[in-house]
Amino acid sequence: MTKMINGSGKIILIMAELLVAVLFFQLPLSEGAMKFRYITSVYTDDKGLGLKQPEGVACSGESLLIVADSGNGRLLRYSYKDGATELGTVEIKVDQLSYPIKTEINSNGEIFILDRKLRSIVRLSPAGEFRGYLQPVGLPSPTAYVLRSFTIDRNDNIYILDILSERVLILNPEGKYVSQIKFPDEYGFFSDVAVDFRGAVLLIDGVGGMVFSAGKNSASFSPLTSSLKEYVRFSTSLTTDDRARIYLVDRNGGSIVILGQDGSFLSRQSGRGWKEGSLNYPAQMCINKKGEIFVADTNNSRVQIFLMVE
Amino acid sequence: MKIKGISLGYVTLFSLCIMSFLNYGAPVHSANEFKLKLGAKGQICLKCHEKFNETLKSRFVHPLLKKGECTGCHVPHTSSHKSLLNADRAKLCYNCHKEVLPENARSSHEVVVEGNCKTCHDSHGSNNKFILLKSGNELCFDCHKDMGADLRNVRFKHKSLENGKGCLNCHDPHSSAKSNFLLESRAPSLCLKCHQTNKVSFAKKHMNYPVTNSDCTSCHNPHGSNNRGIIFDVAHAAVTEGKCAECHEKPASLKTKQKTTQLCRGCHQDMVEQTFSKNRVHWPVVDKVGCVNCHDPHATKEQKLLKGSIVTVCGQCHADTVQLQEWSIKNPENKRLCEPVKRGNCIACHSPHGADNVLLIREQSITNDLCGRCHEWETHSTHPIGAKIIDNRNKNLTVECLTCHTACGTGNNPAMLTFSTTHELCIQCHVERIK
Repeated sequence: MTKMINGSGKIILIMAELLVAVLFFQLPLSEGAMKFRYITSVYTDDKGLGLKQPEGVACSGESLLIVADSGNGRLLRYSYKDGATELGTVEIKVDQLSYPIKTEINSNGEIFILDRKLRSIVRLSPAGEFRGYLQPVGLPSPTAYVLRSFTIDRNDNIYILDILSERVLILNPEGKYVSQIKFPDEYGFFSDVAVDFRGAVLLIDGVGGMVFSAGKNSASFSPLTSSLKEYVRFSTSLTTDDRARIYLVDRNGGSIVILGQDGSFLSRQSGRGWKEGSLNYPAQMCINKKGEIFVADTNNSRVQIFLMVE
Repeated sequence: MKIKGISLGYVTLFSLCIMSFLNYGAPVHSANEFKLKLGAKGQICLKCHEKFNETLKSRFVHPLLKKGECTGCHVPHTSSHKSLLNADRAKLCYNCHKEVLPENARSSHEVVVEGNCKTCHDSHGSNNKFILLKSGNELCFDCHKDMGADLRNVRFKHKSLENGKGCLNCHDPHSSAKSNFLLESRAPSLCLKCHQTNKVSFAKKHMNYPVTNSDCTSCHNPHGSNNRGIIFDVAHAAVTEGKCAECHEKPASLKTKQKTTQLCRGCHQDMVEQTFSKNRVHWPVVDKVGCVNCHDPHATKEQKLLKGSIVTVCGQCHADTVQLQEWSIKNPENKRLCEPVKRGNCIACHSPHGADNVLLIREQSITNDLCGRCHEWETHSTHPIGAKIIDNRNKNLTVECLTCHTACGTGNNPAMLTFSTTHELCIQCHVERIK
């Protein structure tokens, strides 16, 4: 009897140790086979006007979905619940925004949109009122920058991918300069930046087919992966989930490639096509708290919604 | 018996190992493995193979043939290789001539890598040095026909092409450990073997700019051109007019006055403004490298000062798309390939600087304004297409040329169709036909 109790105790102890390791050291949990299950697609606003080549999606909480309806020069705010968008879609159209692409939402519900034509970030209130263009303050020399993409971390810090001065600029939520991370010496072309929950900054090099990373507070990037050309044709966007898994949006390949937090290949989902569940030149994806995945399916002029099934 | 504790048997075994190791790398012709009588290695062969008696009279004869050692390369009775060779033709020469293809060569001649030595050399003998099939540049121009034709027609030829070793003044015919294009070394060190930079005339011709360490081929065509000073045929006006100071600071340095796109904007204001007025600027236009991602600021042989052909320049980043185009061209079944795809003319459909449309497509209406420039789509016999025909799979899409065709190439599919068979293509929309 004593032996049995001791045996069970040991097992519990080992399990507890494993849990601590996973929680505190972010050891990779065993990754089961991950698959996207197609749920539905969003084609129109509530008046029936179709989306036109959307290039941005942002999710927040369990139901908020913002779509950058790029071809129509507007944003659409949806409330998504249980596999359907609820009535009352809000159209957000501001004069200061001409060609919205990448979209993000901070913890206060403020909406940030990259305007491709102006190459500026437009900042909107949660209700969609124009609050101004993001103007970085206190940049070190060189002060000139060209904004290719951006992201926002859990603390609302803003990360700007500056392809002119070859760096990632880190700004506080008010837009004041905090620090910068220089691009590595060798790379093809960086198209997007993401930050995982641990604070690691990630870059996608679509030309080289590689992901680069810089740990929290690190001053330099290093390759996280070797070339992923075997799985990705031309990736231009990336995001991460709450387990620091990396999702690459393969624009030319019409798929989503999932990597572990160490950059190892886990799975490739969807594929190029027109049918529901297929993608045609996707641009951006986001994941909400419920693990639902939203993809701006640009050349199919729709947003597709999937659920990750493991 | 033991020598200081080591068994004589071990010593013998060790010696045998060393001897067999040394023997392993020895040339094949060194051993008389056929136990031939004296003179039977070659002289007897010539009794039947009489034409080699003539070859022996050539100015340059392969040393083995000269010594009458035909068995250096041939087996007298039977062989698995053509011409009774004692090894695969592609590997045979390397038994003795390993040095022509060093392991870490920066560039290698394709025929050398393939072991096709006979493309340039006669394996027995010829009247040309190194038993070459032809002398001088003509041998090179047998394969590099375009280069030969260009050089025959240009007004100004690089003198070194016509002097001494010709092409071989700069190129190593086999491989180069240091440089691309089989060059003995990179510019400018290669060029400085002949050109003296300390002359007053050199400084004057280069407007006193410190170009000694610059890559000469950023302006000069190393083979020849129709411009004086063998400046590439397509040259930036500022270069041909000697107006280096338009872009560069005073001759003390080569530093440019501004970063690339801002600098180019000084003269190309209209083009840059037109580009920036579009919804989408091609990102490399505004990155650190800017215009010179694709253009050479000085001189090139390509139109619009491009760094290479259009498909080569686009392929620097869009290799995956160019691969589709290459597969389509190589597919012998693909007889109905779109002309711009066949020619690698990406900019027929895409605007390389910027456009209002996704994928930098030049026109909003692909069917009307893009494909319609060459194809009479309204007479397309099989399917209604155009802006008024809604795609039955997706109300947000209309049936356009790209509904069925893939514009950049599809590899093996006929007529650049998205699917390999018509049936597979049609059932994408006409599902009722398969029910």
